Amino acid sequence: MVYPFNSDHEMIREALSGFLQDWYENGKGPERIYKSGKAFDREAWSGFSHDLGMVGVAISEDFGGSGLGDLGRVVVMEELGSSLCAIPFLTTGGQVVDIISKIATKQFKKEYLPKIARGEIQGVFSSGHVGKEKKCINSPNADTADFILISRLNDKLIEVVFLDASAPGLKINSKKTMDPTRSFCDVDWSQVSDTDFLLIGTVELDFFEGIISQSQIALAAECIGGAQKCLDMTLEYASQRVQFGRSIASFQAIKHRCADMFVLIEAARSAVYAAAVATDSEKTEAVLIAKANATEAYFKVAGDAIQLHGGIGFTWEYPLHLFFKRARANRTMFGVLSEDYKLLADNIFGDKL
Amino acid sequence: MSNLRINFSKWMKTHFCGEYECLRGRATPGDEDAFPGLRLKWEREMGTAGWIGIGWPTEYGGKGASLDEIVGFNEEYACHGGPGRAGHIGETLLAPTIIAFGTEQQKARYLPGIKAGTEFWCQGYSEPNAGSDLSNIKTKARLENNQWVISGQKIWTSLAMDSDYIFVLARADEGSKGRHGLVFLLVQLNQPGIKIRPIKQMSGTSEFNEVFFDEAVCSHDDIIGDVGDGWKIAMALLGFERGASTLGQQMTFADEFRQIVDLAKSNGSAKNPLIRQRIAKSYAGLKIMRFTALRTLEAAEKGETTKEGYISKIFWSSWHRDLGELAMDVMGNEAEILVNGEYSKLQKLFLFSRSDTIYGGTNQIQRNIIAERALEMPKEPRGGGTVREG
Ligand SMILES: Cc1cc2nc3c(=O)[nH]c(=O)nc-3n(C[C@H](O)[C@H](O)[C@H](O)COP(=O)(O)OP(=O)(O)OC[C@H]3O[C@@H](n4cnc5c(N)ncnc54)[C@H](O)[C@@H]3O)c2cc1C
Repeated sequence: MVYPFNSDHEMIREALSGFLQDWYENGKGPERIYKSGKAFDREAWSGFSHDLGMVGVAISEDFGGSGLGDLGRVVVMEELGSSLCAIPFLTTGGQVVDIISKIATKQFKKEYLPKIARGEIQGVFSSGHVGKEKKCINSPNADTADFILISRLNDKLIEVVFLDASAPGLKINSKKTMDPTRSFCDVDWSQVSDTDFLLIGTVELDFFEGIISQSQIALAAECIGGAQKCLDMTLEYASQRVQFGRSIASFQAIKHRCADMFVLIEAARSAVYAAAVATDSEKTEAVLIAKANATEAYFKVAGDAIQLHGGIGFTWEYPLHLFFKRARANRTMFGVLSEDYKLLADNIFGDKL
Repeated sequence: MSNLRINFSKWMKTHFCGEYECLRGRATPGDEDAFPGLRLKWEREMGTAGWIGIGWPTEYGGKGASLDEIVGFNEEYACHGGPGRAGHIGETLLAPTIIAFGTEQQKARYLPGIKAGTEFWCQGYSEPNAGSDLSNIKTKARLENNQWVISGQKIWTSLAMDSDYIFVLARADEGSKGRHGLVFLLVQLNQPGIKIRPIKQMSGTSEFNEVFFDEAVCSHDDIIGDVGDGWKIAMALLGFERGASTLGQQMTFADEFRQIVDLAKSNGSAKNPLIRQRIAKSYAGLKIMRFTALRTLEAAEKGETTKEGYISKIFWSSWHRDLGELAMDVMGNEAEILVNGEYSKLQKLFLFSRSDTIYGGTNQIQRNIIAERALEMPKEPRGGGTVREG
C-alpha cells in the first residue's frame, strides 16, 4: 500500500480496475458509446453501482455507503478516468451525495442515500441561484438523472430543493458535445409547479464553494487516471512500433517526451493526493493547485500521446481522441485554469486585482 | 514535533546570533564566497554542539536520528536562516559512504573531523572528458611502495579551494574501460602533487575549480572498497544525496519566492495579471515539490519503493530556473542595474540557477534516467560509457 492509501482503498482499486478494464477493452465500451450516441452506459452503471457498490464510496456507513470520503472518491475517479467509462458518478456520487450529506434531514438521508448507494436512483445538481432565470445551462448528465437538486434564490436565502425528473413541465435538453462520453444539458424548471419542489435545506453562498472544491478533487483525480492511461498506451505502442529498423521507444526524442509526461503526471498526482487529505485550513489552496495541475497535465499528456502515436493517434478508431476530448472538457469543467491561478495569486498577495 | 527538533530550534535561537547574524540567509549557491572564515567557525560551533551527523549511528558519534527527525532538523535550520553549510559534502555524502563501506580504521580517522566541523571535503568525479558520461574518467592511480600515486585532472570541483580533502574516482587498472578497474580514494589536498585553480563562473564567483594531480599520493589504506569497486562506491555515494535534505532546500526556495512576492508588491508588478499568474504557478510548483517529497518519505518509511522520486531533480531544477527568470521579470528594467556594482540576491539566483539543470545529472540525463528506470524504455546506445546518476 502506497501513501496515502490504506487497504480499503486498495480493495476498491483492484475491484474497479478489473471491471473497468473489461468494459474498456473486452466490452469495447468506448465504441458502444459513440454507436449509441448516448453518454451513458446503463450496463456499466449497473455493474458499477449494483454489483460493485461503488456509488456510495463517499457516503457515510450509516447510510449504506463505505464512508471513504474524498480519498476513496479519488481512487474511483482515477480508475474511471483511465477507462473513460460513461457513467454519472461524478455528479451522483459526487455533488449530489455531498449536498445531501451536508444539509438534508436525517430522514431524507435515510430515504435517499442508501438508494443512491445501491444505484437505484441517480441525480444531478443544477445550479440556479446565480442568475434570475429558472434554468441551468450545461448541467452534466442531467438527461439520465432520476432527480435534480436545484439551488435557487428565495429573497436573500439560497434554498436547495429536490425535483423528480418526471415532474410535469421540467425540460431537459441534451446537447451534442465534443467529448461524447459526458453529456451536457440545459435544465429548465420555469414551467414546473411550485408544489413539485421539495425543500431540502437553506445555505449560505460559500456552501457551494466547498461542494465545488470536493468536485474539483474528484475531477483532478479523473485527470491523473486519464493521463496515466495515455502514457501507458504510448509506452506500449512505442515499444511495438518499429521505424528505421528499431523500436521508436529507443529514440531519445520519444524517451524524453515520455519522461516529461511522467514528470507532469507524478507532480499532479502529488497535488491531488495532498488535496484529498488536506486539513480544512489547507484545503482551498491545495485543491486549486491540484485542479490546475491535473487538468493541465492531462491535456498536455493526451496531446503528446497523439503525437507519439503518429497517424494512428489521429484516427477515430483509436481511443486516444476520446481522452484528448475529455482532457479538453475537464480544463473548463469547474472553473478555468487562469481562474485557479488568479484565486491562488489573490491568496498570495492578500488582495484582488 | 520531535524532541530533537525542539532542542535544535532552542539551540539555534541562542547560538545563531551575535557575530553570526551577518550569515543569515547567506552562502546560498552563487554566494558561497560570503564570509569564508566566519562560516568555518560556524561549522565548528555546530560540530561542538553535536549538530553535525545527527543521522549517523550513535557508535560513530551520531544521534541515530530518524528520517523524520532529519527532515525536521533541516527545516528548522532553514527556518532560522542558517547559512549554506560549508561541510555538507563531507557530512551528507562522504560520511554515509564511509559508514557503509569503509574500514574501522577509516571511520576512526575521518568521521571525527567531519563531525567536529574541522575537516572539509570536496568531490572529485568530473573530468574534462567525463561529465555526464562519468565512466569515461582518465585520472590514473597506481599502487607503489604502499602508496597510491595519482595523476590526472578533475574539473568543476565545488569548494575545493576551502577543502582539506578530496574523494577521487580514478582508474587503477591500466587499459580498463568504463565502470571497470576504478578506485575510490581519499586524498589530502594540501600536498605538493596537487594544484587547485579556481574557475570563474557566470555568476562572477568561483565556487568550482580545476584540481590537477601530478604524482599526488595517499596511503594504500585510503581506498574505500577494493580495486574495481570504485564505480559501485561512487554511485552509492550519490544515492545518499537524495531525500532528507530536499525539504530544507525547499525552505530556501520558499524564502526566495517570498522575496519575489514582496518585491512585486512594492514595485507594483503585482498589478500585472500575467506576473500574478506566473507567481501563482510558481507557488503551486513549490507546494508540489513538498507534496512529492512527503510522498517519497512516507513510502520510504514503510519500506516501499516508489517511482515518483525520479521526478525530484528535474522538477526542482526546472522550477528554480523558472523562478530566476520570474525574479528578473518582476524586477523589470532594474534587473539590469548592479547596485554598488554587485549582484543582488535575486540576480545571483537568476544566474546561478542556470547551473541547477546541469550539475547533479543534467536535465537531459534525468530524462534518460526516468525513461529507462521509471518507464523501462530501451537504454541509450553507448560507446562504452554509462549514464551518470548524480
Ligand atoms: C555549479 C556546478 C558544480 C559542480 N560541482 C561538481 C563537483 O563538486 N564535483 C564534480 O565531480 N562535478 C561537479 N560538477 C560537474 C557536473 O557534474 C557536470 O557538469 C555534469 O555532470 C555535466 O557534465 P559536463 O559538464 O561534462 O557536460 P556534458 O556531459 O558534456 O553535457 C553537455 C550537454 O550534453 C548533454 N548530454 C550529455 N550526455 C547526454 C545523453 N546521454 N543524452 C542526452 N544529452 C546528453 C547534457 O545534458 C548537456 O546538455 C559541477 C557542475 C556545476 C555546473
